[in-house]
Amino acid sequence: MTVVSQVKQTLANLKGARGTLRMYSAQTRDQETKAVFNDALGITDNIITDLQNRLKILELKEPQYKGN
Amino acid sequence: MEWIYIMLKSISLFILVWASAKLLGKKNINRLTPFSFMGYIVIAVTAVLITLNFINIISGIIVLAIWIILPVLLDFFAIKSKTFHQLLNGKETILIKHGKIMEENLMPLRMTGEDLLAELRSKNIFNLAEIEYAVMETNGEINAYLKSDKKTITPHDLGKKVAPQAEPQTVIMDGNILDESLASLGFNRQWMESQLENMGITLENVFIGQVDSSGDLFLDLFDDAIELAQPKVKEMLYANLEKSQADLSTFATETEDTKAKAMFSKNADDLDNLLNKLRPYLLH
Repeated sequence: MTVVSQVKQTLANLKGARGTLRMYSAQTRDQETKAVFNDALGITDNIITDLQNRLKILELKEPQYKGN
Repeated sequence: MEWIYIMLKSISLFILVWASAKLLGKKNINRLTPFSFMGYIVIAVTAVLITLNFINIISGIIVLAIWIILPVLLDFFAIKSKTFHQLLNGKETILIKHGKIMEENLMPLRMTGEDLLAELRSKNIFNLAEIEYAVMETNGEINAYLKSDKKTITPHDLGKKVAPQAEPQTVIMDGNILDESLASLGFNRQWMESQLENMGITLENVFIGQVDSSGDLFLDLFDDAIELAQPKVKEMLYANLEKSQADLSTFATETEDTKAKAMFSKNADDLDNLLNKLRPYLLH
């Protein structure tokens, strides 16, 4: 597996996790737990942005893998 | 016409005694102090005596009135004044202090060592050495405080953080959606239907459904032959994040670009911290 597709897979994983976190932060009744989930949402969001930026650079360097 | 008279009297006294029981408070019958217990007996016996014509109705009503009004008044004063409360209800007696039985306190209670042991056994304490402190409450109940190394372990003792959990709400009973509790959770029927659809279950097949404080639905079906995948979403989420964290660490070691390396390892660390923080909420 190429680096690009590996990063893409991790990115997809994290996006899935972010979706679940968002669901829990919406449906949790306890305020403290809600805050923890919201916090987690922010951190995963940052990581996702970082990975997306990295992906752009990688695709620029190795254009043959673009779209994989 | 004697029997009609007795019947009418019985019914009116029934209502009177019922009302007086309400007036005298909600206290559990086995938590009563001996004195208020006697008060109840006096009321009950007088009511019976009036009904069966053993005493004249007027004098009977006077007795009832006094035994109902006085305890209410006394209770009222007991709430207002602490000394009066002690005078009325007595004071709790310390039976065991620093792990030692206070024999001089047992005597006035007319309690033998065997009585004390029996009472403690009924609290599931068989070994005297486990007790640090025990008191007899004013209603005769004995409560014991165990030595710190004999107490039940709580997550706090283990230094473990656990997620706060509110009580679960029952949202389905006998195949019917309970709209009120569903609404109190901020969900509606549509949410319920989509949840059931995801699990592939029809509403008629659900005996009891509960939603916990994090919004996960637990179902018990009429048909126990159906194996239902109970919510594992949180465990899956945790596993997913854990895998991503491992991936990020791998990327950090494999890449040669220093900037990317720094970015990957920082994110791997962030995610690791996050996992530690989420563990009590997702795995339990």
